[in-house]
Amino acid sequence: MLGKGVKRPRGEMEGGETEPRDPSAAPATSLFNISMVKLHQSLRRVEPNLRHLVLVANTLRRMQEQMQREAGGPAAPDSPEAPPAGDDLLLSTMDTSISTILEDLGQVEALSPARPEEEQPLAGASGARQEPARTSAPCLGPLELLSSASYLLEDGLEDIFEDIDTSMYDCDLWSPTSLSGFKAFSGAEDSDSKALAGAEDRLDMSDLDYLMDVLVGAPPRSPAPPPPAPPPRAHLPGTRPVPPLAPSPEPSPPSRTQCPRSPL
Amino acid sequence: MFMWLLTFLMVAFSHFFLLADIISTVEFNHTGELLATGDKGGRVVIFQREPESKNEPYNQGEYNVYSTFQSHEPEFDYLKSLEIEEKINKIKWLPQQNAAHSLLSTNDKTIKLWKVTERDKRPEGYNLKDEEGKLKDLSTVTSLQVPVLKPMDLMVEVTPRRIFANGHTYHVNSISVNSDCETYMSADDLRINLWHLAITDRSFNIVDIKPANMEDLTEVITASEFHPHHCNLFVYSSSKGSLRLCDMRASALCDKHSKLFEEPEDPSNRSFFSEIISSVSDVKFSHSGRYMLTRDYLTVKVWDLNMETKPIETYQVHDYLRSKLCSLYENDCIFDKFECAWNGSDSVIMTGAYNNFFRMFDRNTKRDVTLEASRESSKPRAILKPRRVCVGGKRRKDDISVDSLDFTKKILHTAWHPTENIIAIAATNNLYIFQDKVNSEMH
Repeated sequence: MLGKGVKRPRGEMEGGETEPRDPSAAPATSLFNISMVKLHQSLRRVEPNLRHLVLVANTLRRMQEQMQREAGGPAAPDSPEAPPAGDDLLLSTMDTSISTILEDLGQVEALSPARPEEEQPLAGASGARQEPARTSAPCLGPLELLSSASYLLEDGLEDIFEDIDTSMYDCDLWSPTSLSGFKAFSGAEDSDSKALAGAEDRLDMSDLDYLMDVLVGAPPRSPAPPPPAPPPRAHLPGTRPVPPLAPSPEPSPPSRTQCPRSPL
Repeated sequence: MFMWLLTFLMVAFSHFFLLADIISTVEFNHTGELLATGDKGGRVVIFQREPESKNEPYNQGEYNVYSTFQSHEPEFDYLKSLEIEEKINKIKWLPQQNAAHSLLSTNDKTIKLWKVTERDKRPEGYNLKDEEGKLKDLSTVTSLQVPVLKPMDLMVEVTPRRIFANGHTYHVNSISVNSDCETYMSADDLRINLWHLAITDRSFNIVDIKPANMEDLTEVITASEFHPHHCNLFVYSSSKGSLRLCDMRASALCDKHSKLFEEPEDPSNRSFFSEIISSVSDVKFSHSGRYMLTRDYLTVKVWDLNMETKPIETYQVHDYLRSKLCSLYENDCIFDKFECAWNGSDSVIMTGAYNNFFRMFDRNTKRDVTLEASRESSKPRAILKPRRVCVGGKRRKDDISVDSLDFTKKILHTAWHPTENIIAIAATNNLYIFQDKVNSEMH
């Protein structure tokens, strides 16, 4: 099931032509805009091409240096390379964005079986984290599953379940009041589902549980006081069982860019 | 001085194969008898050169399909929720040590060792089994016979002998077999591992350029190769255009290079794209081991191992693209990774370009030629006509203008026979093999 919804990385290694897919991006009139679009597109990929990412990021840095030099000097005529006026905020956040994005690469890389011992140094890296598990003392095994689970379910949610027709579930069940029962049952996942800020059409954690239960044909649950630990959930063949998630003390920062699901 | 290039152009024998998928790598074995191709679908096709026949003087040893097998399958990494492509990134042949041939093939993550064997005889006349292999009724066996080997139709068997998995977090871009024939290395974006060909459960990390904080990442490894004769030396190239020659005797972790080859940036040509176009996409030692050949977006460069400050030769592959870098950046073509190749005597170098063009540079005469690999212009025993790209000014007949170039037709993978004037050119899913009929020996 997961195999269908997962995006295959596009053949960028061979230089496939990339059209700006982001509908919210302005028309690519300047190199700066093009580069930012490329950077984000690169990160939308399931596994970004590191060389492409690094080259685009370095090119952006070059542009930033150039613009800073131009800003320091006398007023320069409009050049095609300079970003539109008023992008100073963008400039200053750009470097932070690039850094944060590359940071995340390092974080996710810690999930790889080849280098599990690197989790320790990376866990201390700065920046707000979306994965709640990072705040606890890192140890192998369960922590990896925790991190990977939360990583899987946060930004990956949209993409993985994109092709599932959830229209049959669009009924009063999903209104806030009727969901209270499910939320109560979900127990520990509550805080994490709060952490999933975003559009209303995104599947909630408890919605996900319900959906999975329906798919595996579990008996219908009745709203009950939250049990000490949620019952074991059937999992999809080939995936590992998802243990209960630790509560997240930090809310997800709203300014984060979309889907930096850089799993490296 | 004999100008072999002229002869090559005058008479050429070409044939091509249409493969099922886009070809992603091409490699001759050490004798040139076999040619392996890997494709996007994870398949490997091996071609074998037919022995030259006196009966057909025009048949100067054609290549025909020898074996096909599925090397890699798409995999799914459940932990990271991503699919691992089955595309074959590189194939490298091992030097032949017995009747069998062995090769290494790799996708983004896993390297496999394959053994190619021939079977052209089979034993007949078993005592206990009949022709179909079924057990005989013992009561019918009255005498003892010795099974004999009888010829049979040639059968080529390819079996996986080793699988080197879980060695790489990032995408493997190169593999290279050491001259000691016991070890090989595999390089990904940030690390290089040394493997023993017989040991699959561990590898030795010899280069690691991953920064402590990924936010400091500014450079990746793009290609790497062992020295052809010195088993302790290897080179790796970076996205910033530098080459690092490392000596494994110096230290266990070769993060400190023995030599750094880097050409300073030309201030007159500086642009936002300077770094991208300086990114080295391929590096190859010469057969002599004295030189290195590198390919970046617009040039091929020859480096002398004794001089680190700049290349000894630079050849422009398609300088007319310099004014088009902006649009090539937009459509991502600027990130294309072209390979390069030496001929057997290290006197000519070859690399691919766009519009199904490929270029050759004669290092001695300083002459260069642009040729096209296409079915329209290549018929068997046809003359390979030189092509020209015009950039304005006087335009000759049959010239192609820069704006008419087809950037979707790119020749990224090329290979040169180790001793003869035979080249293999991969153009999407077409494999072209050009042979110089008149002069098959190197000059």
